[in-house]
Amino acid sequence: MRIAADQVLGIALIGLAAFIAVQAIQLEIPFSYEPVGPKAFPLGLSILLTVLSLVLIFRPGANGQWPHKALALKLLLVLALLLAYAILFTQLGFIVSSLLVVTALARLFDATWGKALVTGVIMSVVGYFLFTAVLGISLPSGYWFASFI
Amino acid sequence: MFDFLIDGFGVALTPLNLGLALLGALLGTLFGALPGIGPINGIAILMPLAYTLGLPAESSLILLAAVYTGAEYGGRMSSILLNVPGDAGAVMTTLDGYPLAQKGLAGPALGLSAVSSFLGATIAIIGLTLFAPLLADIAVMFGPAEFFALMIFAFSSMSVMMGKDPIKTAIGAVLGVLIGTVGIDSGTGVLRYTFGMPELYDGIDFVVMIIGLFAISEILLMLEHSQNTNDNGKLPPLGRVFVSLKEVLACKGAIGRSGLIGFIIGVLPGTGASVASAVSYTTEKRLSDKDNTFGTGDMRGLAAPESANNAAAVGSFVPMLTLGIPGSGTTAVLLGALMLYNITPGPMMFTERPEVAGGLIASLYIGNVVLLLLNLPLAGVFARVLTIPRWVLVPAIAILAFVGVYQLHSDLFAIYLMLVIGVFGYLLRKLGFSLAPVILGYVLGGLMEQNLRRALSISGGDTGILWQSGISLGLWIAAALLLVLPWLVPKLLVAARR
Repeated sequence: MRIAADQVLGIALIGLAAFIAVQAIQLEIPFSYEPVGPKAFPLGLSILLTVLSLVLIFRPGANGQWPHKALALKLLLVLALLLAYAILFTQLGFIVSSLLVVTALARLFDATWGKALVTGVIMSVVGYFLFTAVLGISLPSGYWFASFI
Repeated sequence: MFDFLIDGFGVALTPLNLGLALLGALLGTLFGALPGIGPINGIAILMPLAYTLGLPAESSLILLAAVYTGAEYGGRMSSILLNVPGDAGAVMTTLDGYPLAQKGLAGPALGLSAVSSFLGATIAIIGLTLFAPLLADIAVMFGPAEFFALMIFAFSSMSVMMGKDPIKTAIGAVLGVLIGTVGIDSGTGVLRYTFGMPELYDGIDFVVMIIGLFAISEILLMLEHSQNTNDNGKLPPLGRVFVSLKEVLACKGAIGRSGLIGFIIGVLPGTGASVASAVSYTTEKRLSDKDNTFGTGDMRGLAAPESANNAAAVGSFVPMLTLGIPGSGTTAVLLGALMLYNITPGPMMFTERPEVAGGLIASLYIGNVVLLLLNLPLAGVFARVLTIPRWVLVPAIAILAFVGVYQLHSDLFAIYLMLVIGVFGYLLRKLGFSLAPVILGYVLGGLMEQNLRRALSISGGDTGILWQSGISLGLWIAAALLLVLPWLVPKLLVAARR
C-alpha cells in the first residue's frame, strides 16, 4: 500500500504535538496565583492535535496533485528570489532591488525579456514615488546610493 | 435605540470616511475581480498600508470593510465571464452565470448579479442594525466562562460547516491557536516557544502572519496555475450591462429568501459566504426549479448565490462587532486589524466606542449604494481587470507585501518570518487545508486561553464553572450537537427508511 500524503502529514503532526508537549512541560514557572498556568493550554492542544492526526492517519483523504520536477524547481526559484529581495531590500534600496526582482519574477511567470524589463522599471520607479511621495512611507534608498540621492 | 446609527452616519459622512468608503469599494471590486485574490488577500495586502497612513481606527475599518464587501461584488466577474470562481464564495455563481454568458447574456448577468448583491446586502445590513445592539445587550452578561464556551461553539460550528474535510478544518484551527501561543505569556511572563529569539517575545506579529499566509502563499500557488490553465485571456462579449425591472422582479423570491439565508449563515460564527451561497442555491433549486432550468443559465440560479454571499459577508459582522468572535476568515482579519488599534471588539464596543461600531454600520449602508452605482456602469472596465497577466500581478503583490511588512517592522527578521509562513501556508493549501480556520484559530486562540484561565481563577480551579450558567451550558450542548448531528442524522434516516 502506498502511503498517502495525509498519513505522512499525520505522522509529522504527531511529532509536532510531542515537541509542543515536551516544550510546555519544560517551562519553568515562577510562583503564580493562578490555578492554571501557561502549561495547560498548549498541553491540551497537543493532545487534541494528536487525536486529530490519528484520525487523519487512519482515514486519509485523496492525494492532491503535487508539483512535478520542473514546477518544483520554479517554486524554489521564486522562493530564492523572494529571499534575495529580502536581503537586497535594505542593501541596494527599494528601486534597484525591486527592478531586479520584478524583472526576474515576471520572466519566471512567462513574460518576454522586453515586457519583464519594462514592468520592472515601471513598478520600481513609479512604486517608489507612489509610496514615498503620495503615501508618505519611508523606503530604503540603499547604502550604495545614499550618497548620490 | 438607534442613536448609534445616527452618530454613525455623522462619522461615516465626513469627507475623509466617505472618500475611503469609495476608494475601498473600488479597490475591493478590483481585488475581487483579480484572479486568485479574494477578500482576505485584498485586505491582507491593504491593511499595513492603511495602518501606516495613520488613519484613525474607524476610518481604517471603514476602508477595509468596503474592500471586503467590494470584493464579494468583484468575485462574480471571473465566475460569470470565464467560469473561474475568484474565491470560494463565488463557486455557486459559475453554475448559472457562465451558461448565461455563453448565451450572449453576459451583460444582463453582470447587471442582475450587481442588483441581487445589492438587495441581499441591504437585507443583511438592516438585520445587522436590528440585531447587533440586541445581541450586544445579551453579550454584556457574558463572563469568561461564557466566552470560553462561545469559542468552543465557534470552533465546532466552523469544523462542521467550513470546507469539505472537518478533520483538516479542526487541525488548521489547532495549528492557528498554537501559532498564537508563541511569545510572552501575559499571565505569568513566561516565554513560550520563542527558542531564544527576542524577535518572537511579542508573539508572531499579526501583519506578518496575514501577509505571509495569504499573499506569499498565493504567489507560490499562482506559479502552478500559470502552467495549468490555458485561458488565453479572451472575454466573451458583454452586451448591455443592464437588467430590466421585469427580470429582477422575476427573481424577487430567490433574492429575498437567499438574502435571509445568507444573513443567518453569516451570523453563525465560523461560517461565511461560501457556505451561504451553496445553501441558498440548493434551497432555491429545490423550491423553484420546476422545469429543470437551473444550471443551464437560469437568472434565479444566479441571483440566489449572489444575494446570499453578500448577505453573509455583512452578517458575519454581527458576531464580530457584538461578541468579538469573527463570523468568517475575513472578519477574523478585520478583528486583528482592530486589535492593532488596541480595540477589542465585543459587547462594550457599542457603548465605549460607538463611533467605531456605528460608523462601520453606517458606512456599510453607504458602501452598498456606492457599489451598485459603480458596478452597473463600470462592469466593462472591471471585466478588463481579468485580462491582467500574472507576470504583472505577481511582482505587484510581492512589492506590496514587502513594503507593508518592512514599513511596520523595518527589520529583516519580520520579512524572513513572512516567507517562512508563506511556505507553511502554501503547503497547507496543497494538502487540502483551507486557511480561514488557521487565521480564526490564531486570532481567537489568545482570547480563548485568557478566558479559560480567568474563569478558572474565579472558581479557584474548579472546572465546573465552565458549564455552570445556563448560557454556557446551552453553548456546550449546541457545540456538541453540531459535531454529532451531521454524522448521526444520515444514519437515523437510513434506519427510519428500513
